[in-house]
Amino acid sequence: MKPARVITLIGKEGRELIRDPITLGLCAVMPLIMLFLFGYAVNLDVENVAMGVYDEDRTPASRDLTERFAATDYFDLRRTFGSLGELEKAMQQGEIRLALIVPRNFHRHLLEGAPAPTQILVDGSYPAIAALAGAYAEAIVSAFPRPRPSAIQPQVRVWYNPSMRSSHYIVPGLFAVILMAFPPLLTALAIVREKETGTISQIFASPATSAEFVAGKLVPYGVVAFFEIVMVVAIGTLWFDVPFRGSVLLFLAAAMIYVLTTVAIGLLVSAVTSTQLSAMLLALVVTLMPSFLFSGFLFPVFTMPLALQIYSQLFPATYFTEISRGIVLKGAGIDSLALPVSLLFLYTLVIFAIATRRLRQKVA
Amino acid sequence: MIDLRRAGRRYGEHWAVRDIDLTIQRGEMFGIVGTDGAGKTTLLQLCAALLDPTEGRCTVLGYDTVRESKAVTSRIGYMSQGFTLYDRLSVAENLRFSAGLRNLSAREFTDRSQRLLDMAGLREFESRLAGKLSGGMRKKLALCLNLIHEPDLLILDEPGLGVDPLSRRELWRMLEAFRERGVTVVVASSYMDEAERCDRVLLLQMGHPIGTDRPEALRLAVAGRVYEIVTNDPTRVAGELSSRYSAQGIQVLPDRVRFQHGSTEAPGPDPRLDSMGARTADATLEDLFVFHSNEHAEPFAAWGELPNVETPGAIEADDVSVTFGGFRAVDHVSLVAEPGTLLALLGPNGAGKTTLIRALCGLQPISSGEARIAGTPVTTAATSVRQRIGYMSQRFSLYPDLTVGENMEFFAAAYGLTGSASESAIFRARALTGLEPVAPGTRVEAMSGATRQRLALACSVLHEPAVLFLDEPTSGVDPLSRFRFWQLIRALASAGMVIVVTTHYLEEARYCDRIGLMDRGRLIALGSLPELRRQTASGDTDSVETVFLNALRRPGVAPS
Amino acid sequence: MSFVRLVGLLRKEAVQFLRDRLVLALVLWLYTVEAVLCTYALSFEVENLPVAVVDQDRSLSSRKLIDLFTLSDAFELADHAASPREAATWLESGRVNMVMIVPGGFGRAYHTATLPAIQFLFDGTNSNTAANARLYAMELLRRFELEHPSLSAGPVPHQAEPIIRTWYNPDQTTSAFMVLSMIALAGMMVGVIHPAASIVRERERGTIEQLLVTPIRLVELFTAKTAPTLLMGTLALFPSLLIVAWFDVPLRGSFALFMVLTALFLLSAIGLGVMIAAVSQTLQQALLLAFFGLFPIMFLSGTLTPVESMPSVLQTLSLASPLRYYMDIILSVFLKGAGWAELWDEALALLAIGTGLFCLSAMVFKKRVT
Repeated sequence: MKPARVITLIGKEGRELIRDPITLGLCAVMPLIMLFLFGYAVNLDVENVAMGVYDEDRTPASRDLTERFAATDYFDLRRTFGSLGELEKAMQQGEIRLALIVPRNFHRHLLEGAPAPTQILVDGSYPAIAALAGAYAEAIVSAFPRPRPSAIQPQVRVWYNPSMRSSHYIVPGLFAVILMAFPPLLTALAIVREKETGTISQIFASPATSAEFVAGKLVPYGVVAFFEIVMVVAIGTLWFDVPFRGSVLLFLAAAMIYVLTTVAIGLLVSAVTSTQLSAMLLALVVTLMPSFLFSGFLFPVFTMPLALQIYSQLFPATYFTEISRGIVLKGAGIDSLALPVSLLFLYTLVIFAIATRRLRQKVA
Repeated sequence: MIDLRRAGRRYGEHWAVRDIDLTIQRGEMFGIVGTDGAGKTTLLQLCAALLDPTEGRCTVLGYDTVRESKAVTSRIGYMSQGFTLYDRLSVAENLRFSAGLRNLSAREFTDRSQRLLDMAGLREFESRLAGKLSGGMRKKLALCLNLIHEPDLLILDEPGLGVDPLSRRELWRMLEAFRERGVTVVVASSYMDEAERCDRVLLLQMGHPIGTDRPEALRLAVAGRVYEIVTNDPTRVAGELSSRYSAQGIQVLPDRVRFQHGSTEAPGPDPRLDSMGARTADATLEDLFVFHSNEHAEPFAAWGELPNVETPGAIEADDVSVTFGGFRAVDHVSLVAEPGTLLALLGPNGAGKTTLIRALCGLQPISSGEARIAGTPVTTAATSVRQRIGYMSQRFSLYPDLTVGENMEFFAAAYGLTGSASESAIFRARALTGLEPVAPGTRVEAMSGATRQRLALACSVLHEPAVLFLDEPTSGVDPLSRFRFWQLIRALASAGMVIVVTTHYLEEARYCDRIGLMDRGRLIALGSLPELRRQTASGDTDSVETVFLNALRRPGVAPS
Repeated sequence: MSFVRLVGLLRKEAVQFLRDRLVLALVLWLYTVEAVLCTYALSFEVENLPVAVVDQDRSLSSRKLIDLFTLSDAFELADHAASPREAATWLESGRVNMVMIVPGGFGRAYHTATLPAIQFLFDGTNSNTAANARLYAMELLRRFELEHPSLSAGPVPHQAEPIIRTWYNPDQTTSAFMVLSMIALAGMMVGVIHPAASIVRERERGTIEQLLVTPIRLVELFTAKTAPTLLMGTLALFPSLLIVAWFDVPLRGSFALFMVLTALFLLSAIGLGVMIAAVSQTLQQALLLAFFGLFPIMFLSGTLTPVESMPSVLQTLSLASPLRYYMDIILSVFLKGAGWAELWDEALALLAIGTGLFCLSAMVFKKRVT
C-alpha cells in the first residue's frame, strides 16, 4: 500500500461525493426523516386509549369509578353510551378500543359488601396495546373503592427507563437500523457505478492494488457514515429526551467499528454484483430488512423461536442494538459489553477479508 | 512487446477467445478487428493483465501477466470502451487522479499534462467537469489519462465508438504522433477504415483468429471476388442476383449493386457475370468478413412479397425545433421526403438525429415548427398518424421474455389486426424479413442481434406503414447481416415507403437516396451523395466521412 | 378503447407475468413464507423473558413462589444469582431482563402477616415488554396468595370485581394481528411493485416507445398493466386463507365482501405503483422510490401499532395511505365480523385514492411522452 496512491483515491472519491449534492443531501436528510418517523410513529405505549362507558347504575359510586378512569393518562374517555348495542357498534367501528360497563346495583352491592361485578371490554385486534390497556383497566377496577390488601408487598423498580417511554427504547435501536440503511447502499453503489461505467478497469489497469482501492472507498464513506451516526445520535437523544447515561467515548468507539461493518457490507455487496440495480436490491435485502425485523430493534429476540434467534445473530445490527441500548440507557461499560463488541469486531474483519478477496479477483 | 502463446479465456462453458498466438513488435500499430462479441475486449484485457488467461500464456513487456501483473499495469496505458472518466471531476482533476495513481512527481505532472492538453486541444477546458464535455473531447481526455505516465504500450478498445468524425480524426492523429515516438499501439475496432490505418491487423471471429497480416495482404484473399454492376434499377438486379446466382454480401446502392462471388473456390472468368455487366471492384476488409462469415451465417431466405403501401405519404418537417430546458436538441430543421425515398440522417452522438426522428413520429413534443406525415400534423392527430407509421428504435425494442410469434401477434393486435388479417400480416412479414427459418416458439432473449434486428423490423412493418423510421438499425450487427438488412430496406423503399434512417456508420449512407448531415441540432446539408460532394467541394470518390468533414468546415458552420 | 388492442395487450401481459419466475416467486414468498416467518418471529407477548432469581430465604414458600414464576410461559429462569449485586450486572449486560429478589425470612413473614417485601428489578429499555412483564408478575403474586393463603389472612373487604373480556381476540395473541398485518403488507408490496416494475421495464427496454407509436391508448395500457396484478392479488387471498386458518384466526365477516374490498385496495396500491413508474426513469429509481416510500407508509398505516397512538400530524398524513384503510378492513372483517355498513367509508376512501392516483399518473405520463 502506497500512502500517496491511497490519498489520491480518497481525494477523488471525496470530490465526487461532494459534487453530488443529491446523494449527499439524501445522506443527511433520509436518516433524520427515518429518525423522526419511527421515533414518533412506533409508539407502543398505552396512552389516551379511546374508551367508552355504559353506566347502567348511574350512582355516585359508578360516576366515581368512571372518574378514576378519566383521571389517568392511559385512557381518554370519548363517549358515554345509552345502550349496549350502541357501545358494541362503536367498538366494531374502531371508535373506542376499551369499554367499561357498570351494571345496575353496582353501588348497592358495594354497600352491602357483596361482590360488585364490573365488565371491561377490550378490543383485542391491536395486541401490542390491548393486553396492557386491559390490565391497567383491571387494576383500576380492582382497587375500587380502595386498594385491595395483600399479604406480600411487591417493591417494583424499573431500571434504565423508569418512565417507561417507548421512544427511549426505539431511538437507540434506530441508530443501528438507520446506519444499516444508508452507508452499505452508498458504498455498494459507488463501487458498482465504477464497474458499470468501466472506470474500475482503468484503476485496475494502473499500478493501484485492490487493497488501495478498498481503502480509497472505505475512508470517505466511513467518514460520511460516522458523521451520519453522530448526527443521528445527537439529534435523537436531544429531541426525544433520551438520557445518555454511558460513556460517549465508548459509544463512539463502538460506533466506529459498526461504521466499518456497514461500509464493509457495502463492499461485499459490490464485490458480488455487477449492476447498480442488483447491488441495491441485495443491499436492502441483506441489511435493512433483517436489521429492522430481527435485530431486536422492535421485537425482543428472546420471544422468537430458537431457529430465528440464531438467525438474528447473523446480522451485525443485532449486536449494535444491544451495544447502543446498553451504553445509552444502561450506562453500561466495556466490561458488560465486551462480548457484543468483540463479536462485532470479528464480524467486520471477516467481511473485510472476504470483500477484499473477492474484489482482488480480477474484475472486468 | 506482446507475446501470446495459445492464449484462451473461458467464461463458464463459453470460450470468449481461444488459440491466440500473437507477437507484437515494439513500435507497431496493431489492430484487432471483429464484430461485437468476437472477443476483442477479452483479448485486450488479457494483454492489459486485467484478465488471467484460462489457458496458454501472455507475456507483455517481458512480464508474465499473471504473476507480474503490477509490473505490466504500471507500464502500460489501457483505455476501455465507453467513456471511462469521472464525470464529477474536472479535466485537470481527472488527469491529476490518473497521475496520482502512478506516483508522478508534481513537476512531471505539470509538464506532461500541459503538453497532453495542448495536443488534445483541451487546454481551455481544464476546469470544466468531464461530464460536461462532448463525446469527442471525453474520448481525447480518456486517452490523455492513459498517456500521462508515458507508457511504452498503449491498448485501446474501440476508440472511435460514439465519437464525431472530426474528433475521431484528431484522436488518430494523436495516436500516430505517439507511435512515431516509439510507443506501441494495440487498438480494437469495428470500423474497417481504422483497421486500414494499422501496420498489421488480427481478424477475430467468434473468438477465433482468422488471419493476422498487413491490411493489404489480408485483402488479397478476396481480391477478384468482389464485383460491381452499375444500373438504374439496383433492386431488380439484386433480386436477379440472389435468385439466379450464388452471390454473397449483396450491397444495393442507389446507382449500383456490389457483391461477392458465392462459391468458396477461386473464381475464374464467368460469362454470366460479364453478360450482366459486372466488373471487378476493389475489395475492403469488410468484404473479407463477409467471405469468412459464410460458414457461420444463419440461414436467410430471400424476401417474399413486398408490402403493399395503399396510400403513400410524404414526410415534411417545417422549421422543427425541440428544446430541453435551455438546450436546443433540434434546431430549425426543415426537410421533405417523398414516397419511395430512403433518407439517411448522419451525425455524431448528440447531433440530434434520434431526437429529430422521435419528433417526426410523435414521440417527442415539438417546441416550434410543424411535422406532417401525408399532410397530417403529427402532434394534433397523433392516433390516426400512428396507424400509418412504423418505428424501430436503436435497441430493437422487443419483449425478450416473449417468443417470436408472441411478439408479432402482440404488435399485430396493437395495430388492430385480428384473426386472418393478423395471421396473413405475420406470415408476410416473416417471409419479408427472412424469419421463416426461425421457429415461432423461440424466445427473443435467446436470439442473436442480427435476428432480433430483423424481428424488430418485421414488427414495425406488420401494418404496412407508409412511413418507416429506423433509429440506428445496424448497430451491433455483423457486416454480412448489415449488407442484407440494407438490401431489404432498399426493397421496402422501392415498394413506396418513405424510410428515414439514422446511423453513425457514416459509410452506410452510401445506400441511401438522400443524406442529411446533422451537427449540434442543425441540418447542415441535405441531398444525394453526389449532390453533397458538389455542395461541399469534395472529390467524386471522397468518402462520406470526408464529405461530412468538408461540410463542417463550410462557412456558417462553426467548428466544434 | 379498442377491444382488439386491449385483448392483445392483456394477453401479452398475462404471458409475461407467467414467465416472470422472479415475480411469481416473490408473490408466493410474501404471501406464505414471509407471513408465516414473521408471525412466528415477531411478537409483543411476553414469553420466555429471561429472569435472574436471588433467593435469600431458601424456604418452602420461597421455592414455591419462584417455581410459580419460572414455570410460567412468560418467564424463564436464566440462573440463580448469589447476590443482588451479581444479578444487577446481569441486568446491565442484557443477560436477563428481570431480577426477582426474595429476601431472607420471607416464608416466616408471609405466614405471620408482617408484609414481606419481594423486590423486582425490570430492565425498562423495552417499555412495552417491561410493562407487560410487570403486570404479569403482579398477577402471579396474586395467584400465589390465592393458592397458598397466608395463615393469618384477614377477611376480604367489599370491592369492585373486574370481569375482563377481550373481544375479537380473546386469547390476546399477537399471531392473529401479525398474520393479517403481513397479508395486508404483502398486498401493498405486490400491488405497488409489480405494476411499477412492469411499466419501468418497458421503459428501460424501450418497448414503451414502440407502444406509443402504435395506436394503443393510455387507458388501454393502464388497464392492461392493472389487470394481472389485480387478478393475482385477489387470487392470492385463497392460499393466504390457509395460513390464516393455520394460526387459528377466525373469519367472522363475509369473504365475498373481503374480496371486493381487497380488489379495491389493490386498485389503489396499483395506482401508487403506476404513479411511481410515471415519475421514474429506471428500475433502480423506481425501486428506491418504492422502498423508501413504502417503508414509512407501512409503519404509518397501523400495521404495527394503532394509528391512534401516533402524533396527530402523522395521523393526518396516514389518511392518504390506502394501507391504513385496508388494515381497518382486514382486522374488522376477520376479527370483528364487520360488514358493509361499518366499512363503506373505508371503501369510499380507497376508491378516491385509487382514482386520484390513476388520474395523476396519466397526467404525468402524458406530460412526459407527448
